[in-house]
Amino acid sequence: MTVVGNERLSAPADLERLREDLRTRRDPAAKCVRVCIGPGCVAKGAMRLLELFAQAVRQTGADVAVEAKGVGCHGLCDRGPIVIVHPGNPSAALAAGIFYQRVEEPDVAEIFRETVLGGRVVERLLYEDPATSTHVRTADEIPFYKAQKRIALAHCGVIDPASIEDYIAAGGYSALAKALTTMTPEQVLQEVERSGLRGRGGGGFPTGRKWRSCRDAHGEPKYVICNGDEGDPGAFMDRVVMEGDPHAVLEGMAIGAYAIGSSQGYLYVRNEYPLSVERLKGAIGQAREWGLLGKDILGTGFSFDVRINRGGGAFVCGESTALMASLEGRPGEPRAKYVHTVEHGLHDKPTNLNNVETWANVPAIINRGGAWFTSIGTEKSTGTKVFSLVGDVVNTGLVEVPMGITLRRIIEEIGGGVQGGKAFKAVQTGGPSGGCIPAEHLDAQVDFDQLTKLGSMMGSGGMIVMDEDTCMVNVARYFLNFLRDESCGKCTPCREGLAQMLYILDRITHGEGEAGDVERLQAMAVLLEGTALCALGKTAANPALSTIRYFRDEYDAHILEKRCPAKECRGLFRYAIDAEACKACGLCKKHCPADAIAGEKKVLHVIDQEKCTLCGMCFEKCPFDAVLKV
Amino acid sequence: MPTVTMDGVKVEVETGATILDAARKAGVWIPTLCYHPAVAPPATCRVCMVELDRGEWKQLVTACNYPVRRDITVSVSSEQAVQARAGVMQLLLARAPENKDLKAMARRMGVEGTPYPTVTVSQRDCILCGLCTAVCEEVLGCAAIGFAGRGQDRAVSPPFRQPSEDCIACGACAAVCPVGTIQIRIHEDTGEIEISPFKARAKLLTCEACGERVVSLPVSEEALKRAKIDWEEFRRLARLCPKCRRRDAAARLAESSSAT
Amino acid sequence: MKQAAKRKPADRNLVEAIVARYEGDEGMLIPMMQDLQADCGYLPLDQLRRLASRLEVPMSRLYAIATFYSSFRLAPKGLHEVTLCVGTVCYLKGSGQISEALRKEFQVEAGGTTPDGLFSFHPVNCVGACAVAPVMIVDGEYYNGITLDSARDILRGLSPEEAPAESEAQK
Repeated sequence: MTVVGNERLSAPADLERLREDLRTRRDPAAKCVRVCIGPGCVAKGAMRLLELFAQAVRQTGADVAVEAKGVGCHGLCDRGPIVIVHPGNPSAALAAGIFYQRVEEPDVAEIFRETVLGGRVVERLLYEDPATSTHVRTADEIPFYKAQKRIALAHCGVIDPASIEDYIAAGGYSALAKALTTMTPEQVLQEVERSGLRGRGGGGFPTGRKWRSCRDAHGEPKYVICNGDEGDPGAFMDRVVMEGDPHAVLEGMAIGAYAIGSSQGYLYVRNEYPLSVERLKGAIGQAREWGLLGKDILGTGFSFDVRINRGGGAFVCGESTALMASLEGRPGEPRAKYVHTVEHGLHDKPTNLNNVETWANVPAIINRGGAWFTSIGTEKSTGTKVFSLVGDVVNTGLVEVPMGITLRRIIEEIGGGVQGGKAFKAVQTGGPSGGCIPAEHLDAQVDFDQLTKLGSMMGSGGMIVMDEDTCMVNVARYFLNFLRDESCGKCTPCREGLAQMLYILDRITHGEGEAGDVERLQAMAVLLEGTALCALGKTAANPALSTIRYFRDEYDAHILEKRCPAKECRGLFRYAIDAEACKACGLCKKHCPADAIAGEKKVLHVIDQEKCTLCGMCFEKCPFDAVLKV
Repeated sequence: MPTVTMDGVKVEVETGATILDAARKAGVWIPTLCYHPAVAPPATCRVCMVELDRGEWKQLVTACNYPVRRDITVSVSSEQAVQARAGVMQLLLARAPENKDLKAMARRMGVEGTPYPTVTVSQRDCILCGLCTAVCEEVLGCAAIGFAGRGQDRAVSPPFRQPSEDCIACGACAAVCPVGTIQIRIHEDTGEIEISPFKARAKLLTCEACGERVVSLPVSEEALKRAKIDWEEFRRLARLCPKCRRRDAAARLAESSSAT
Repeated sequence: MKQAAKRKPADRNLVEAIVARYEGDEGMLIPMMQDLQADCGYLPLDQLRRLASRLEVPMSRLYAIATFYSSFRLAPKGLHEVTLCVGTVCYLKGSGQISEALRKEFQVEAGGTTPDGLFSFHPVNCVGACAVAPVMIVDGEYYNGITLDSARDILRGLSPEEAPAESEAQK
C-alpha cells in the first residue's frame, strides 16, 4: 500500500507526515485476515493458506474493504497454522481479532464466507481452553498469552514484515528520528545504560557499557554487527524477529551506530535461515528507498548502511571473534579476547556486536525511556526475554516474558504443562553451553544470574522441557556430540578434550562405563574451562556437569548396574511382555529378527532374554501395548 | 613501562609485550609448543597457561599472546597453572603417545605419561599447532599449506590434498615444526628435495663448478625475484677488488653507525 | 528443485561476474563461494582457481573455507539423494548386504555419488523407522521393508532428467 509515491523522506517532518497519512488512510472498518507466516506455521503450509486468502480477497467485490496479509510469529506454534480475522467495526471484545488455530486449506473458504464477510465465528476452529473446556475468541483470552509481555516481539503477528508502511504506521522509525533530532549520541548512550539492557544472545553483557567502550575506542571506521547466527539447537527466537519484524532490527542498529559513531553495519545471518535473509533484504531495500538507511538519513547528516552476510554452516560462528573472521573471508576460528573486539574487532577496528533480540529492544527503549525498561523484570536483569519453549510441553512455541518470572509459570501456566500427562523431569536452558534444571528448582526466577547459580545459564533462550522418559546421561552425550562436530579444532583442550569426554559418555551409554568415569568428566570440565580458547570449549562440559549434579543416580545406574533408568539407552534395559495385556496375536513374534519370542496363537508370548537383541521391534509392533520396557 | 611480577620476580617490559616476553626477561621457563618468534602467536597449543591475578579471582591465560598494558602479577608455578599445563600436555600425549619431542617436553614439565586413551587420529603426530602454516603464509608469503576441515577432522594440508603449486620447497615448515612431523627428504637419484608429508617436490640447484647441492630451485628463483639489486651500486663495486670492496663496506658501516 | 548434475561447460565469465557483484572485496569471499556453489551445484576446482587468482588470495585459503564450513561441497551431489538405513534393526534384516550390493552395482562409495551423477548414496545409522525395516529413503520418500531386488528396481527407475519437486517431507 504505497501512499506518498515512494518519495525519499528528507526530513523528520516528512516521516511524521507519512505516518499520519498512513494512519488516517487505514480504514478502521476494513476487514483484515492475518495469516501467521512464522517458521512453525510456514512448515505446516501457511504460505499456501495466505495465497488462498489473497485469492478470496481478489475475488471480492470492490464494495467490501478487505485485505489479507502475512504476519510474523504469534508464538503458539503448537496450534499453527494460526489465522486472525478482524471482522471490521469490531466490538471492544473482538478488537484483537478472532483467533483461529490449526487452520487447514479446506477451512479457508468457510472462514472467508462466515467470518470475513458474514461476521460469524467458526466455533470448531477456535482455541479450546483445556482448563475450562470452553472456546475462546481472542488471543487475550488464551492462557498462553496472559503472562507474556511482548516488547521485542511487539510487532510480530501484527504487521506485515514485508511492508515498511505497516512498520511506520505502527510507530516504526520514530525512535530513530527522535534519537537523531532530539538526542546527542551521548544521550542515546545514557538512555541505553539507564535501561540496564543486557545482551540477549547469551552473554548478558551490559549493552550500554559495550556501546560506550566502542565509542571510546580509538580507530576509524567503527562497525556495528548484528549476530543472527542463532545456532543453539531448539532456539528460533532470532529467526522469528528477523522474519517477523526486520525493521526493528535495522532501526535498533541505526540508533546504536549513531550513539557509537559508526556508519557501517553488518547483519550476519546463519546459512540455514534463507527466509530471514530474504525478509531482511526486502526491509533494507525499502528502508534505503525511503531514505531511512544510507546517506544523510532524514536530512540529519547521519549516514548508516548495512550489508548482509550469510554464514557458511558453522555453529562456532556465533562466537563474536569467529563471526568477525568469517566476515573477513576466513574460516570461523575464534581468537583470544585479551584485547576486546570493541577496541580491535572487524578488520582490527572498533566493533560493536549485539544479538538480534538485543537490537530489537533498542527502539522501544529510546521511545519509552530507559527507566520504563527497568520497571519490567528484575533489578539486575531488566526488561523481557524471548524463549523458545519446546520439547515435551503442551504449548510448544515462542514466548516473551518479563525477567524474573519463574520456570514453573513458564512451563505450567504458559506452556500448559508436560505433554501426555507424563511427569516433568528437567528443563534444559542455554543450549550446548547450558544445563538441565530439575523439578526441585522450578520456582527459580528466570534471569541471567539465577539460572547460572543453578548450574545452567539463560543463554540465547532455548528452553527444552524433558519428561520422565528422558535419559539425562544421553542428553549430556547428545550435546557433547554436537559440540564435538562443531568445534573449530583450533585449540588442544576443546578438540582433544571433547573427543575424550564423548568417548567416556559413549562408553557409559553403551553399558561400558567404568568406576571413576564421573570424576574423569568433572576433571575434564575443569581443564576445559581453564584452558579452552573460546566460550564453546569453556562451557562445553556444562550439560554433563549439570546432569551429574542433579541426576547422579542415573549416571551410577548406567556405570555400576549397566542400567538405564529412563529406558532409553539401547541395551541398558529389557523388554518383557505384560501377561495381562498380551492377546497372543503373534505379531511381535512374526517381526522379531532374532526369533526370540516364544508362544502360539492364544498362548501367552514370552521374550527369551538370552536371544533378545533389544532392537525394539516388538515394542513398536504390538497393537495392545503389551510389550513393556523394564 | 609496566611491571610484571612473576613468581615474585619483578621485570619491566614495553607496553604490549607479552607475558612470555616478561618470562624470558625474568629467566622463568614457560613451556611452549606453538610459539615461534618469526610469526604471530597462534596460541593453539595452550601449553603455556599461566595464572593472572585479578584480585578477587585468578584467571588462566596463555603467556604467549597476553599483552601487558599495565602492572600485573602472574603466577607460573601456582597449582592451578601447573595442573592446567599438565592437563593440556596429557591431552597432547594421548594424541601422539610415541612422539619424542612431546615426551621430552613432558618430562621437563614434570608430567609422567597420560591417563587418556588415544581417541583422535593425528597425521604423523601433528599437534595442529599451526606454526608451519603461519610461517608459510606470514614469512614466505606462499601459503602453500593451510588448515583443512574442522574439529577432529582438522588437518594441515595443501589445497585439495594435492602437492601444492605454491610450495617452493624451502623447508621452513620443517624448521619450525615442534614435533618433527614435517621432514625434508633429499632424493639422491632424482636430485630432488621433498617436503613430506605434503608430497611437495622440487629439483635442487647444484653448483656448476663442484656439483654440491645448494638449495631448491624454486627457492633460488624466489630469492632472485625478491632480492632488490641496486645496479649502479653493483657496477661500482664490480670495479673494486674483493679487499677494497671489504674496506668500502667497513667505511660505510662506520658511517651509518656514527650517524645514529 | 535440485539442479541437474550434468556438468555445465566451465563458464569463464562466472567468476568475473561474481567478483564484480561484490566489488572485488575479499572479505566477501564466503558469499562469493556461496554464489559459485549456487550456480554450479558445488565448488569446481577450476572455478576456485580462477577466483583465487582474480582476488589474489592463496588457494589454501579457499580450500580452508570450503572444508571448514558445512554448507560447501567440493564434489557434485547426485541428482537424487538416496539414504539407506544400516542401524541395528535394518542391519539385522539385511540392509548391510543390500548396501554392499548396491554400492558394487552402481559404483558408488558410501557418502559419494555415482559416476553418472544420478544419485548420492548415504548409509546412515538409524532413521528411526525401525518398525518397517529395512528402510531406504529416496529424495525424502520412504520405502519400507525393502529387499535387494526392490531396492535395485527403485534405483534403476530413477529419472536422469530432473529431480522431483521437494516433497512435503523435505520442507
